[in-house]
Amino acid sequence: MEIKDVNPEHIKKADIIVGIPSYNEAKNISYPVIQADLGLLKYFNKFSSVIINCDNNSPDNTRDVFLETPTESPKIYLSTPRGIKGKGNNFRNLFNKATQLKAKAIIVIDADLKSITPEWINKLGEPLFLDYDYVAPIYLRHKYDGTITNNIAYPLLRSLYGRRIRQPIGGDFGFSNKLCSKYLNNNSWDYNISNFGIDIWMTNNAITNGSLVCQAFLDAPKVHEPKDPGSQLGTMFIHVIGTIFNLMEKYDHFWLKVKGSKPTAIFGFGLGERVLPPKISVSLEKLYNNFNTGLKEFYSLWENIIEKEHRNRLIDIACRKIENFEIPMELWAKILYDFSLNYHIYLEKRKEILTSLVPLYHGQTLSYARATWEMDAKQAEEYIEKLCFTFEEQKPYLVKRWKKN
Amino acid sequence: MPRILLVDDEENIRLLYAEELRDEGYEVTLASDGYKLLERIETESPDIIILDIKLFAYNGLDLLQEIRRKYYNLPVILCSAFDSYKGDIKSMAADNYVVKSSNLAELKEKIKLALDTFIP
Repeated sequence: MEIKDVNPEHIKKADIIVGIPSYNEAKNISYPVIQADLGLLKYFNKFSSVIINCDNNSPDNTRDVFLETPTESPKIYLSTPRGIKGKGNNFRNLFNKATQLKAKAIIVIDADLKSITPEWINKLGEPLFLDYDYVAPIYLRHKYDGTITNNIAYPLLRSLYGRRIRQPIGGDFGFSNKLCSKYLNNNSWDYNISNFGIDIWMTNNAITNGSLVCQAFLDAPKVHEPKDPGSQLGTMFIHVIGTIFNLMEKYDHFWLKVKGSKPTAIFGFGLGERVLPPKISVSLEKLYNNFNTGLKEFYSLWENIIEKEHRNRLIDIACRKIENFEIPMELWAKILYDFSLNYHIYLEKRKEILTSLVPLYHGQTLSYARATWEMDAKQAEEYIEKLCFTFEEQKPYLVKRWKKN
Repeated sequence: MPRILLVDDEENIRLLYAEELRDEGYEVTLASDGYKLLERIETESPDIIILDIKLFAYNGLDLLQEIRRKYYNLPVILCSAFDSYKGDIKSMAADNYVVKSSNLAELKEKIKLALDTFIP
């Protein structure tokens, strides 16, 4: 089956690409396309550019909405063959197209963005012309938006690989042609990466392959289709965490040597008006119930995954009422390390191991939500900083056990 | 002996900190502001920078961005009398943040932590 490639203006070369991955985003895609076009015209008008929608053959007519959105910049529509879905597959098409077009800089933005401004294109693109290879976003997010990032992806990636990238699965990135080639030639492609694991895979690889990484501060908060951490995000969770755990095996020669963590350069400070991100509601009861149900359902599996002392502490926590629910930071770090290690050991049980981590993630999200309930964004950020530092402090626990196995 | 470049516009702070850090075995050079700071970093090659935020004619957070863009891995610790800058996203480009105190235990600990950090 062939990849669909609609290139109405027969573009054969482009210096800058804005890529927009999508699946069923007909109602949302026009807005980011228009903003991307304005950004390209305002900040990169000396360069040839193209906007590419990398789609999964969306049945909701995303393709026509994209192609009919009026823009000065030319557009290309790419799609995976019928029946092939996955965000990562869309990116793979984008990597190939970017190589064909000999692009110098590639910027990727989410198709459901409602807060993107033309400045985002500049901020994600400009560092790529200053020798950086990978630009990750920093935006103001509500403290309960991005709970996989806050509680797992950021602290784990930071403690493992030593680079502080606040939004490693932010969805809006910039990367250089050099890094694009490395992505294409990387042989770690799998099912998770073909799906929602792609963002963390890109960030993780950018760090481990020695690319120069920076962050861009995008003034406006990320406003997109929000998800309740207690009831959505299940599939994404498996793909993201599965990718992190898989890459831990591939790159253990790297992370076993890492000690502590280092910041990255930040670009994009302007005088833009700071707008508060929209509130995200979180159901504490649902998280509490998911944790307790998961404890009953998965306890026998956890006996093989979680150290006895940690399991006993979890039982103690489960006996508490919701008002007193707390997973100490050090325990959460050790539990995640237990999971990553046993995912590495029990090859045949990987899917079950990841599935059984979901209720613990809900427990940790509840613990985080309770601890930060009265906090403003700055205080919640300090809490996450402490969590990350705890992960770094506890890393020898993982290193010692990993080396034994 | 690790070399520290200490940037602070208050002379008594510079003297106190320099003395204490030298007692810990560090080689310490001093700067009273951000003037030609990048040139000094180039010539002195410090192992770590302790940087005040409210300097007389410079903003330490802006200096930090310049340093970080040029020196990808050079450790920088922000050392300010004010806790409030911790929430400024610009401060994320620093390795660490310490509120000034006559007791330098926290600063010494964070210097050690930053110097011990290793990424292959």
